[in-house]
Amino acid sequence: MFFECNEQQKEFQKRVREIYEREVSPLVEEYERKEAFPVQLYPILGAEHLLCLRCPKEYGGPGLDKISECISMEELNRICAGIGSGIMVQGGLATDPLLHYGSEELKQKYLPSAARGEKIGAFALTEPNAGSDASGIRTTATRQGNGYRLNGSKTFITNGTICDFVTLSAYTDPAKRGMGINLFIVEREDPGFSVTKKLEKLGNHSSDTGELAFDDCYIPKERMIGDREGGGLGQLEGTLKSGRLTYGARSTGVGQAAFDATLSYIKRTQKHGQPLARSQAIRFMMAEMVTSLEAMRYMTYRGAWLFDRGLASMKDASIVKLFCTESLQKIVQKAMAIQKNAGLMIDNPIQRFLRDARLFKIPEGTSEIQHLVIARELGL
Amino acid sequence: MDFELSDEQKDVQKAAREFAQGEFDPDLALELDQSAKFPESIWKKAAQLGFIGIHYPEEFGGQGLGLFENLLAIEAFCRVDSGIGSALSTVDLGSEVILKFGSNEQKKQFLTPLTKGEGRLGIAFTESEDGEDLSSIAAVAERRSEGYLLRGEKRFVLNASLADSFITLFKEPKEGWITLIVEREREGIEVYPIEKMGLRMISSGDLLFKEVLVPLGNRIGREGEGLTHVDHCYQAIGLKSEAQALGAAQGAFDRAMQYAKQREQFGRKLSQFQAIRHKLADMAVSIEVVRWLIYKVATEYDHGKVDPGFLFVTHLEVGRRLISVVDEALQIFGGYGYIVEQAIEHYFRDAWAIGVELGTEEEQKDVIAEVMLGPIR
Repeated sequence: MFFECNEQQKEFQKRVREIYEREVSPLVEEYERKEAFPVQLYPILGAEHLLCLRCPKEYGGPGLDKISECISMEELNRICAGIGSGIMVQGGLATDPLLHYGSEELKQKYLPSAARGEKIGAFALTEPNAGSDASGIRTTATRQGNGYRLNGSKTFITNGTICDFVTLSAYTDPAKRGMGINLFIVEREDPGFSVTKKLEKLGNHSSDTGELAFDDCYIPKERMIGDREGGGLGQLEGTLKSGRLTYGARSTGVGQAAFDATLSYIKRTQKHGQPLARSQAIRFMMAEMVTSLEAMRYMTYRGAWLFDRGLASMKDASIVKLFCTESLQKIVQKAMAIQKNAGLMIDNPIQRFLRDARLFKIPEGTSEIQHLVIARELGL
Repeated sequence: MDFELSDEQKDVQKAAREFAQGEFDPDLALELDQSAKFPESIWKKAAQLGFIGIHYPEEFGGQGLGLFENLLAIEAFCRVDSGIGSALSTVDLGSEVILKFGSNEQKKQFLTPLTKGEGRLGIAFTESEDGEDLSSIAAVAERRSEGYLLRGEKRFVLNASLADSFITLFKEPKEGWITLIVEREREGIEVYPIEKMGLRMISSGDLLFKEVLVPLGNRIGREGEGLTHVDHCYQAIGLKSEAQALGAAQGAFDRAMQYAKQREQFGRKLSQFQAIRHKLADMAVSIEVVRWLIYKVATEYDHGKVDPGFLFVTHLEVGRRLISVVDEALQIFGGYGYIVEQAIEHYFRDAWAIGVELGTEEEQKDVIAEVMLGPIR
């Protein structure tokens, strides 16, 4: 067993931290307030090869591993979870299925421009009536001539209103519940595609979230990911596994930020003539927070290490997501409880960490779904 | 022991519920929360109907009932909307100091307008960064022949931009701690608004007193009594925050129940999944537990014998359970819970702001332990 980052990984962490502090930190306040994603970041992070980390060099990416992606995501989320949401989708759900199951032509067409940040990707599975139950989607892709006609609506789509292309899930055969789904690449300019709404949220304000509609949207048949109809949900298996591990890294990043801010607060704040840091109760809370953080970090990187070796099961990934996102809630709740009135103020990042962290228990499988997955994989 | 509300209490509860259901429009609530605006017209109507100052004597415009009845109204309001309900609950913040320690003249001058919806009150006690440490207060009142000259800064003042008068805590070099009523229009007061995450309809801010002169008659009660006034005030405010918490928890629960019965996934209503049913059961338990704790303390308050240890037991339990109930309610809503359009989103933010008003667990446990064990030597 070997529990340390190698020199290359340490260098990488140092490099990404510098880049995110230089390029992302100055944008956070403004874009959180505007409730918009700073799209200018895409080409900047693209030039630094930080958008699609696991995308191989032949398709324009740096060809790094899951551990590197987790390092990058931890560092980015330490600065801003909202911006982290948009960047995560670009290198995850929007491009991963394409990378693993797309035709050579599709890969050449979409991956290099996504990796360079010239095109923004989104991923659309969830619908108003189908969240946890992905098989319950109603969007259809009807074969017509040399293409497919898409009809349906999608919601809670990260990068939804700013995307150039979207990886869409739709039924090619609605009779085969769950099995009759396929993934398609839809471009923003395709006639019949529209953004119907921008959603306002509790947190992750600097991420873009939208509702999309597909109204007789016609696309060429070559835009289907994979060469036969059906089995689209199965193509998401690896992507979901990877995404759930990324939530471990995101949680660790936000948790670290909340911990650091609280540490500095208790050292500088006086109560009854002494720094808060002298209070035994506060010291215990800090000890609990850092204990959680360490556990979250090791769970995440162990999961990523397994993933890189092709050994990570869905159970491993779900355990990481469940443990890390739930532990994060306790960390930010403690941070908020310690800072009290000061923590509630909009210009104090603690309240942002609390709102942002709250999201993590919901997407890519709620905590309840993670419980179900883990129990199922126990053979129950 | 009697665990049933009186007919009069039931009437107050019913009237408050009907008023809230009729007036607290969800779209308006959303708009006021987002733009951080006070519900002006609802407040005026609430005052006309006698909902402000329920526990003041009738000669000062009140209903002559107890704080308990006031809390029942607050609970009913916050159940329908945590933001509007809390804003109405806090328009007369600090009035209990005047009620208990003020002169008849002060009561007539300052309480009566509150009940008519013609004035609002705020409190300005703390100066510390966490908003709870009173030991480090530096604001000074200097007694002169023409009145008190005030200098200093107060932090996290609720109703900072809304109140017409503030109940303030100052130290006078000879008289010691004193509370003073300071009218907002007096010269030398500056307000620095603070934007908050939750309870956004209630304005918060820092107040700067730059050589503010107030008449000697604005002092409440006797010299040196200031901290006693503040303690009493915090008891009443604490109870009001608890009623807000209870209403908010109940409102979040109502919404989660409704959603669970209507939302279908995997071909079943959410309410048919054991895990969701147990969440709802836990939430219901929490609400029952805190309701009876609060009603007990409220009854004690109206009988003038609050047990400080038990008050903080209640604060602690209410604070914990409020956060968990609202958090679970949001979780039942899934992605929709995270979207501003759903009221549960602002219940989450408001719950944290109400929790802050109740104090930190550390503070609460310190008090409970001190009652049991005496101070740390």
